[in-house]
Amino acid sequence: MILQLNYLQRKPAASTMQEVIDTLYSLLEEGRLEQEQFARMRVHLDWIQYHKNFRECVMTPKVKRDPYGQPSPIDMYIDLRQVTPGALRAEILRAMTGEDSPAPDDGRVFLEDLRSFRESITWKFNNLYWHRLADWEEFTGRGYEQALPGGKSDANHPAAVADCVADFWTLLRDLESRKQLPEEIFVLEIGVGMGKRAGLWMDRFRALDEERGTKYYLRLKFLLGDYSLATLERSRPAVKNHLNVCSFIVLDALNPMKSLAFLRHKILHIHLTNVYDNLPDEEFARRDGRLYSIQVRAYLPAPQAHRISEQFQIPAADIPKTVDRLLEGGPDYLVDRKRGVAFWQEIWKALRLEERLVHLEDLPDIVLPLGLHQEQLEEVLEEAPSDVRFHLSSGALESFQNTVPLLHPRGFLQVQDIFVTNFNEYRIGFHGPGKLDGSIVNWVNGALLREVGERAGYDLHFAPFHYRQGSRTSVLYSTQRE
Amino acid sequence: MALPLLPTTVVGSYSMPGWLERLKTEFYARRISRRDLEEIHDTAVKAAIKDQELAGVDVISDGELRRDNMIDYFAERLPGVQIDHTSKKFHYDFYDSKVLGKLPMGPLGLVDDVKFLRANTDRETRFCVTGPHSLAKRIRNEYYPSEQDFALDLARVMNPELRAIAKAGADIIQIDEPNYSGFPDDLPWAVKALNTLIEGVDAKIAVHICYGNRYGKPSWEGSYRYLLPGILEAKVQQLTLEFARRGGEDLEIFRELPPRFEVGIGVIDVKTQAVETPDQVAERIRKALEVIPAERLFILPDCGLLHLSRDVAFAKLTAMVEGTRVVRKELKR
Repeated sequence: MILQLNYLQRKPAASTMQEVIDTLYSLLEEGRLEQEQFARMRVHLDWIQYHKNFRECVMTPKVKRDPYGQPSPIDMYIDLRQVTPGALRAEILRAMTGEDSPAPDDGRVFLEDLRSFRESITWKFNNLYWHRLADWEEFTGRGYEQALPGGKSDANHPAAVADCVADFWTLLRDLESRKQLPEEIFVLEIGVGMGKRAGLWMDRFRALDEERGTKYYLRLKFLLGDYSLATLERSRPAVKNHLNVCSFIVLDALNPMKSLAFLRHKILHIHLTNVYDNLPDEEFARRDGRLYSIQVRAYLPAPQAHRISEQFQIPAADIPKTVDRLLEGGPDYLVDRKRGVAFWQEIWKALRLEERLVHLEDLPDIVLPLGLHQEQLEEVLEEAPSDVRFHLSSGALESFQNTVPLLHPRGFLQVQDIFVTNFNEYRIGFHGPGKLDGSIVNWVNGALLREVGERAGYDLHFAPFHYRQGSRTSVLYSTQRE
Repeated sequence: MALPLLPTTVVGSYSMPGWLERLKTEFYARRISRRDLEEIHDTAVKAAIKDQELAGVDVISDGELRRDNMIDYFAERLPGVQIDHTSKKFHYDFYDSKVLGKLPMGPLGLVDDVKFLRANTDRETRFCVTGPHSLAKRIRNEYYPSEQDFALDLARVMNPELRAIAKAGADIIQIDEPNYSGFPDDLPWAVKALNTLIEGVDAKIAVHICYGNRYGKPSWEGSYRYLLPGILEAKVQQLTLEFARRGGEDLEIFRELPPRFEVGIGVIDVKTQAVETPDQVAERIRKALEVIPAERLFILPDCGLLHLSRDVAFAKLTAMVEGTRVVRKELKR
């Protein structure tokens, strides 16, 4: 058995570790765990993820039966934050009981069939959240930024914004000295939130421009892009002093080119904060030299399903159908909005993801995200740890690939997010997706992004966000690759 | 074979298949031999030639599929240029190359490429060579007192090879100088180097000046206005320029171009996978005809097709040929 200690935050590591080992040994001695299973087991302490997430306290992914009869990997993920004293044994047993797969179908209510995380119903919840944010916030009584670690977004840090503006001004100056400054200076922010950063950025830019007498502000065209019209509306007050240079554009962060193709090669600066971490993803794992894709299936654990059924007087068997209608029609579907939002929030809170590993014969079996070539992934995996689980970050890769064609040849992209910047970081732990209020938040595979960037003609550099101590975000900067 | 009115041609490179990229990488990893790679290149070049013929292009190239990129293929052949062979990860990356002393004379070995092209097509041929200005911008100069001196000497060393290329049967030799647009102030000495390069070369000479196509994206933006009057000193017969992606606004600049210059106009945007329709191509040609007489006009893509998938590259060439035929018919009426 391999015991992997990942992230033992605020927990007495040694005692927990001993408890896990003792429990597994006792199961072995009782014959509830076979020697061969025990030997192949890889136990992960602790799963790295947001406090609110999609996993139960102990989880053991199923493995699709291998037609060649190869032994399957047995992974066990333990979220120490959810372990209550004396409950570990029962949780491990619950996760392991079953015939051909460890996880049981113990009265849980499934909301979908097994599929790639990217295709999961969880992303429909995410979409619903952004489109009906006002309803959600009204019900909870707090704004979504308050759900962020620290209660506010790092995107609005004045020093970070000032540095970004200074870099941009320097670029404009350089272009002007080469007689290459375009008549219109386009800047794009994707995922504008409350518009605070955009407002701060333009305040600072105008002040610097006036201070230096360069008259660039008069040529500025600032585009605020978001896929929710409601969000764009909410951002207007924050940029009210700059409305004459602003345009509000509904766009899909996965493909900004769809809305902005007419600005191909024209935008001098593009900024995104906390967008990539909210784009659909899929995950892969390599175990014992074999590659697996990870399928998921959303479900409600039996106790929570039972409670929701009683609270909303919906038979448990009808919950999936009701959820589908909620996702299609919004919370108004459930007679009155208040009740609809309550149902939505309860379902979201209870929602978990079951996992299944599916062996891939070879890399060509994978439909790779736009811009990622098979040989790149092969090269990355050649140098990666032999047993590794990683994000493909397909949404982030797709977004990047569909955003950079908008950049002016001398323009630059800046992305502030939670990145895994080196594949070796996956050796010491996998960062799983979490729930941030009603949305999904997930780490982004910066190492793969760097590979895709190189092929697209950009070198990508990651720097820790040094403006706030303890921040886990990094800033990606692009430079032209020769 | 006599060329029709509005001859169609290419800027040089053809779509680089994914499998060829992988095999090149295999070669660098020493998993296949140079001999195997050469055979692979021959096969790929023949396919590129065939595709251009099938698309109906009048003047064709070898697709430049043997080349890693527009610099290294020449840097590796230039005597006196030192290459750090460990300095690139992907075949398209540039080597770290430098010059530490005066460049000696010596063959570059490009003639075989021309002979191969010549042997595999009956069409007129276009062979492309990266110009001294672009080479001097990329190869690190640690010997010559200035970039200008370096470029002039590069031109001197490369000139005999161009003469040999012409003798080997290249109908048009195209000098690629995308860096002019990034460094417009260099134009006076860059044209001097160009003239040194082509002196005594018995072929039609074209100079291709675009705004870059590295990784399928432009390297600069701006206006072709900087080319005049400096480019008029160039002893070339044809200017090959990028208009499809950038729009035709700059065309007007070339209205007063002396009649000794032909103009190759880009009517295919090579930086998007979206395929033009023949009608779009025809419209772009009509716009160019308002400024440049048909007798002096060549029709081609904005730049090389390297970064496009093969099916898109082929479809774009086909649209270019069909659109040109539409305008030819209109001109005959």
